[in-house]
Amino acid sequence: MDLIAGILHTSLLAGGVLALAALGEVLAERVGVVNLGVEGLMALGAISGIAAVVTTRSPTAGFALALAVGFMVGMVFAAITVYLRANQVLCGLALTLMGTGFAATVGKAYSGIPAPATFTGVEIPYLSSIPLIGQVLFTQNVLVYLIYIILPVMLHFLMFRTRHGLNLRAVGENPAAADAAGIAVQRIRFWYVTAGAALAAGAGAYLTLAFVPSWSEGVVAGRGWIAVALVIFAGYRPLNAVLAALLFGVITSLGFVGQARNWPIAAPVLSMLPYLGTIAFIVVPVVAWHRMRQAMAAPAALGIPYYRDLR
Amino acid sequence: MAIRLQRLPSASPAIALAARAIAILLALVTAGLLLAASGAQPLKLAQQVLKSTFGSGFGLEDVGLLVTPLILTGLSVAVALRIGAWNIGAEGQFYAGAFAATGVALFIPGPTIVMLPLMFVAGALGGLLWILIPTLARAYADVSELITTLLLNFVATLLVYYVATGPWLDPGGHALGTTARLKHDIPEFIGMVHWGFPIAILLAVITAAAFSFTRWGYEVRIAGSNPQAAKYAGMPFRRHLIVVMLLSGAIAGIAGMLEVAGTVHRLQGGISNNFGYLGIMVAVLARGSCIGVIAGAALMAVILNSGIILQTQGINTSTVLAITGLILFFTAVGDELAHFRIVSSKPAEA
Repeated sequence: MDLIAGILHTSLLAGGVLALAALGEVLAERVGVVNLGVEGLMALGAISGIAAVVTTRSPTAGFALALAVGFMVGMVFAAITVYLRANQVLCGLALTLMGTGFAATVGKAYSGIPAPATFTGVEIPYLSSIPLIGQVLFTQNVLVYLIYIILPVMLHFLMFRTRHGLNLRAVGENPAAADAAGIAVQRIRFWYVTAGAALAAGAGAYLTLAFVPSWSEGVVAGRGWIAVALVIFAGYRPLNAVLAALLFGVITSLGFVGQARNWPIAAPVLSMLPYLGTIAFIVVPVVAWHRMRQAMAAPAALGIPYYRDLR
Repeated sequence: MAIRLQRLPSASPAIALAARAIAILLALVTAGLLLAASGAQPLKLAQQVLKSTFGSGFGLEDVGLLVTPLILTGLSVAVALRIGAWNIGAEGQFYAGAFAATGVALFIPGPTIVMLPLMFVAGALGGLLWILIPTLARAYADVSELITTLLLNFVATLLVYYVATGPWLDPGGHALGTTARLKHDIPEFIGMVHWGFPIAILLAVITAAAFSFTRWGYEVRIAGSNPQAAKYAGMPFRRHLIVVMLLSGAIAGIAGMLEVAGTVHRLQGGISNNFGYLGIMVAVLARGSCIGVIAGAALMAVILNSGIILQTQGINTSTVLAITGLILFFTAVGDELAHFRIVSSKPAEA
C-alpha cells in the first residue's frame, strides 16, 4: 500500500513539472508557433527560482521570479519569431542553448545548495485521512491543484468554449482567414507565445523548488523536450497534456522506486525509461490509431510565419 | 519617393553571407558586453584567445583536434537538412558510434591495422542504428524526427555513462568512470592532429560531390526543397529520406569513433563535449552546404577552444554553449532580414 501511495505521490510531483511546461507549449503551438526553447526556458526558470529562494527564503518569490524571467525572455522570442518572422526551429534551438548555457554559468554559485525553503505539502483536514488516495491527493503542495485542475480546466474552457478561443485556434489553423476576419493574428501569437514561455520557466522553478529541490547543472535533463513531445502525444489539448504528463510522472517515479528498492537494473538504465517511453508514446499512437489522426492533428499553420502580403 | 521594404522569396547569396557575418559579429559583441557587465574584460580575454590560438603551433593543433568531430557532426546535420530532416540527435549518434567502436576495440583481439577499419565500420553502424527508429518513424508514420532523435541523445549519454562506470570500467582501476585505454590509436597526421582530420574533410568533399554530381544527389535536393514535386516526378521520396537519414547517423557515428580512437582513447561519460549540438550550429552556419561545413566547423572549433583557454577566467563550456546559442539566434534573425530589400518607388503621377 505504502509503495503504491509513494509512487503516486512522486508521480504527481514529477508529472507536475512536465504538465506545466506542456501547457505552455500547447499555448504556443495552438497559435501556430513551435517553441523549441522550452528546455532552455526551464533551465532559466530553475536557476531563477533557486536564486530567489536563497535570498528571500520564499518559494513563492522564486516561482514568481521564474514566471517573470520566462515572460521577458518569451517576449523577446515571440517578437523575433512572430513579428520578425525568423525561423522558429533555429530560434528555439538557440534559446535552448542560451538558456541551458547561461543557467549553468550563473548556477555555478548555487550548485549543490539545497533550496532553503520549498513548496511543501499542505494537509487538507478530513480529506487527507481518506485511506490511500487521501495521502496521495490531499497532502500535496498548493501548486499541484493549480497545475492539474485549475489551469488545464481554465485553458480548456478558454480554447474550446469561448469566442476568443475560436479566434486563437483559427490563428493557428489558418492565419490568413483569421486575418481576413479581423482577428489580430500577430498580436494573438505574440501574447500566447509569451504566456507559454512564462509557464515553461515556471515549470523549471517548480522542478527546483518542489521536486528535486536544489540546483545542479543539467537538472532539467531533457524534461523540456519531453514536454514538447507530450504536446504532440496529447493532440494539442490542455486536458490531455496534463494527463499525459501524469502518465510520465508514473514512469519517472517507477525509475526512482527501482533505485530506492535496489531492483536488479542499473540506475542509468532506469533513467532511460522516460526518454524511451516518450518515443514509444509519440510513435505508437500514430501507428495504432489512424482514425484519431484528424482530431489529434497539429494546427495546420504550425511553424509557418505569417506574412500578410503573401496571403 | 516612397521607401518601403519588399520581401524576396529567396535571399541573394551575397547578402545572405554578409547578413551572416554581421550576425556573428553582433553576437560576439553582445557576448562581450554581457561578459563586461559581469566584471570580465572582454578585450583582454579576446586578446588572450587570439594569442594562444594563433600564436603557436600548439594552439592550432588544439583547434585541429576539435575541428575534426565538428566537421563530421556538422556534416551529419547538413546532410539530413538536404532532404528537409532535422537530425538533432548527432550527439546521441556520436555516443553510439564511440560506444560501438570501443566495444569492438575492447572485445575483439587483432592487429591495429585490421582493427582500426573495423572500429570505423562499427562506429558508422552504431550511429546508423541509433537513428534507425527515428528514420523509420518519420518515413512510415510521419513522426517528427526532430524530437525522436533528440530524446535518443539522453539515452545514448546514459548508455555510455552506464558502461563506462559499470560493465566496461577500467579493470586496471587507473581512472574513474572510464574504460581501459584502447590499444588501437589513429596515427598522427600533423603534430597532435590525427588522421581523422583529413578523413573528415574527405568525407565532406565526397558528400558534397555526391549531392552535386550524381542523379541521387539531384533527386535528394529536389525532394528536400519540394517533396510534393519530387513525388509527382516519380522520385522515390521515402527511399531517399531513409537513405539520407541513415547516412546522417552513420557520419555522426564515425565522428564518435574518430574521437575515441584518435583523441580521447577511452570511452567515458561526457566524451562528446556537446559536439552533436554544436554540429547543428555548424550546419546552420554552412547553410546546409557540405563544403561550407568545413568553414563553419573551423569557426566553432575556435569558439570552443576559446572556452577551454579561458577556463581559468571563470568561463567554461556552459558559457560557450550560451554564446553559441546567441550566435544561432542572431544568425536566424540575419537570415530573415537578408530576405528584405529596400525599394524606393515613385508614386504614380495622378
